[in-house]
Amino acid sequence: MKEIFVDLDKCVGCLTCTLACAAEHSNSKDIVGAMLEKVRSRIAVESVGGKPVPLMCRHCEEPACVDACMTGAMQKDKVTGIVTNEGHEQKCVGCWMCIMACPYGVITPVEGETRLALKCDRCGGKEVPACVASCPQGALIYDEAKVVAELRRHNAAQLAMSKAV
Amino acid sequence: MNYVIIGNSAAGVKCAETIREVDRQGNITIITDEAYHAYSKCLLPDYLSGDRDEDTIRIRNLDFYSQNRITTYFGVKAQKINPAQKIVALENGKTIPYDKLLIATGSRSFIPPIPGIEGENIFGLRNLDDAKKILQALPGVRRAVVIGGGFVGLEAAYALYSRGVELTVVEKLPQILPSQFDAKAAKILEKDMLCEGIRIITGNGIKEIINPGIWQKMFGKKGKGVRLEDGETLKCELIIVATGTKANTELVQGTAIKVNRGIVVDEFMQTDEPDIYAAGDVVETIDAVTGQRKLTPIWPNAVVQGRIAGLNMAGIQKPYTALVGMQNAVEFREIPAIAAGLTEAGEGLEEIVIENQAQNKYKKLVMKDNRLVGMILVGDIRQAGVYNTLIKNKIDISRNKEFLFKEDFNFGYFLA
Repeated sequence: MKEIFVDLDKCVGCLTCTLACAAEHSNSKDIVGAMLEKVRSRIAVESVGGKPVPLMCRHCEEPACVDACMTGAMQKDKVTGIVTNEGHEQKCVGCWMCIMACPYGVITPVEGETRLALKCDRCGGKEVPACVASCPQGALIYDEAKVVAELRRHNAAQLAMSKAV
Repeated sequence: MNYVIIGNSAAGVKCAETIREVDRQGNITIITDEAYHAYSKCLLPDYLSGDRDEDTIRIRNLDFYSQNRITTYFGVKAQKINPAQKIVALENGKTIPYDKLLIATGSRSFIPPIPGIEGENIFGLRNLDDAKKILQALPGVRRAVVIGGGFVGLEAAYALYSRGVELTVVEKLPQILPSQFDAKAAKILEKDMLCEGIRIITGNGIKEIINPGIWQKMFGKKGKGVRLEDGETLKCELIIVATGTKANTELVQGTAIKVNRGIVVDEFMQTDEPDIYAAGDVVETIDAVTGQRKLTPIWPNAVVQGRIAGLNMAGIQKPYTALVGMQNAVEFREIPAIAAGLTEAGEGLEEIVIENQAQNKYKKLVMKDNRLVGMILVGDIRQAGVYNTLIKNKIDISRNKEFLFKEDFNFGYFLA
């Protein structure tokens, strides 16, 4: 199963991913439209001691948010592995139990006419999620865990070699 | 293999679902005295207010039982279990044999021994039938009193208020939400409810309930009232009792199963009787913060216990890792709030508070020996889960203590 990985060294904090996320989840599917519709991004780029750190849902193996959800809206799809509280028969009521449970703090309470706990839905199973596709730095990677691990080993080895030379 | 589950809520449903994931063949049976498809008890206030109906409080799709090939006995009470013969006797005379049994019978409203509490139009709010009775009684009700200022009481009050009933909440202790929030946080939430128009009386208990006299009844009057401990009386037509819950442990009476305030289970959710497991509001488990065995009647813990019980019943040994027993999220009107673990100062505890009264923001972190043991977040709750995980996993915070109090604290601090 593919996952979104972050290469912190490459992220420059340009926030393009947040705009792409909002656009993808808007009706208009573009950035200006998303701003007019006041669509919020589901990926956050936090500043930690001046360094940008993108944070988004990890779609956990045993998601604490799913256990905490008292409406049954938050579910993990058995096939795709996507964890989302949207598009199911059971609807989110905005009780914030999932926010209380999420170890990564990547669910946002959205107030308004209808309350909704907003989180990454991995673009509903799109081949490449919008945030990953939009990242100009290649800081977001969408692949199998073992492929990314292999890539990291390879890069680390290269770095070590270059230092040795 | 015959799996029998008594109880059809958070723990029971999760247990059945988990068993079916790992055992495609076994027979699964769910028995419940309630006559409904699995629904969320946490959504009963939404049902009371009319925001949700019977179809929208269901926690699983309508075809859940058929999809998972689960035999159901709805609206039938399990009367007795016989561990020697491995059978469950139902009230309708039928007996169900089991190889593995789960007791997930939950809890019921605790009704305090107040004079007059057996009268008419006095209800708990614990299951759908309670909610239906309250709605049936509602026509002609202008004023209602809620006894108990905990989560259930306040949510019930808010729900009935949105139906146009005048509400007074009476809490015996000096603050609302006494078992979880501290006085300052409670004050912010109380102010929010007062602004809405709900009356709250704290530090005053109920002395007696004045039921309508024979003359009033003859003239068809619904009027009744409550007399407070200080002698004042409140007139009302309806009373909701929300003074806590009591575990439904009657079913295991007469067996070797140990019961304190709830059924005692080991880390595999197994009781003292072989092949009998228990999960949810009915069990006592070890609390992650205090290390003590106690009831943890909250939804997320019931689900996890149901899953662990299911795995072990299906032969996959997996222990239950202690969870935080006291944790809750609320938002009555405009201000969201989350509390977990120990939230009051105590011996050996260090607490740090950051507040912004103008914005109704309040944050309190309680620490012990470089471990976070409790938190209250009011107003801004976004990082609650990160703090909660630090509490649950007993993470040493001596290296990143100063991060925790930053306005923009987030998980990124652990990565960068």
